[in-house]
Amino acid sequence: MSGVVATLGWDEVGGYVVVAWVAGVGAIGGYAASVVRKGRRLSRQVPPESRRWM
Amino acid sequence: MTDLPTPTHPAPVDSTGSRGSRILGAIAAGLVAATCFYAFVVTGPDSQLGETVRILYLHVPSVITAYLLVAIAAGASAFHLWKRNEFSDLLAASATEIGMVFLGVTLVTGMLWGRPTWGVYWVWDARLTTTALLFLMLVGYAVVRSLPAEPRSRATRSAVLSLVSLALVPVVSRSVEWWNSLHQGQTVLGTSDAKLDGAQLFGLFLGMVSGPVIAAWLLMHRFRVAWLAERAEELGLDAAIAARRLEAGGDAAGATS
Repeated sequence: MSGVVATLGWDEVGGYVVVAWVAGVGAIGGYAASVVRKGRRLSRQVPPESRRWM
Repeated sequence: MTDLPTPTHPAPVDSTGSRGSRILGAIAAGLVAATCFYAFVVTGPDSQLGETVRILYLHVPSVITAYLLVAIAAGASAFHLWKRNEFSDLLAASATEIGMVFLGVTLVTGMLWGRPTWGVYWVWDARLTTTALLFLMLVGYAVVRSLPAEPRSRATRSAVLSLVSLALVPVVSRSVEWWNSLHQGQTVLGTSDAKLDGAQLFGLFLGMVSGPVIAAWLLMHRFRVAWLAERAEELGLDAAIAARRLEAGGDAAGATS
């Protein structure tokens, strides 16, 4: 982390900024990936005529 | 839990994606990239908040998006209590789950903003406490949905919880005005001393557009997943009933022979 902060040229506050963004984007991205994966698995189990999209 | 039947039909589309969701996903990705560019490249440190202002480009949009999702969930829940259709129930459940993710991000980014700004990750301040309470309400909703219950009563209970969650949103939003709070007031439209302008304000608005667009994309997929899960459960149940009937028929045939 200190390497990243040093690269960005920030003081120790930069570490909190990087962690906040990694955690935030990671959480939303990870959730999105899990939803898409679950959708792929389920759509193979349900016949096309039973699917309904928004 | 009954095992789901093995798929026997080739699926023309083996995902929850569609043309609409792919276009929306591309727009969302572009907006996220633009927000990151503004947060880290275009804008500099704030005169009062310093480098921590960069967290606000994620923190503020995530809470706005969470409020929006709670409102969508409550609207769908109210409609469900009136019309009792599956669509509104699944929409409310999907919106609440996504709202929980965004509110979780709000809490974590807020704590990471609070540490360098206030010196602590957490204080039992009015804004933080009410936000945590709203988050717990959404967790409670998820717990109610996961409990084994008759579908109709489960949908009713979760719809009521969703409406209560919406009632908490103005309390969270106005908490900085109603109580003496350590948390700063509304930065953009409110009375906070920390004002953003120019590129900072544009970056924040980009984030505030990105959040709802991402949420809309997620909502499309999550709703479809919920819909498919219901259908898959029905198919599993049908298969189990058919197998039991076959078994019972075999037993009866064995007894008569």
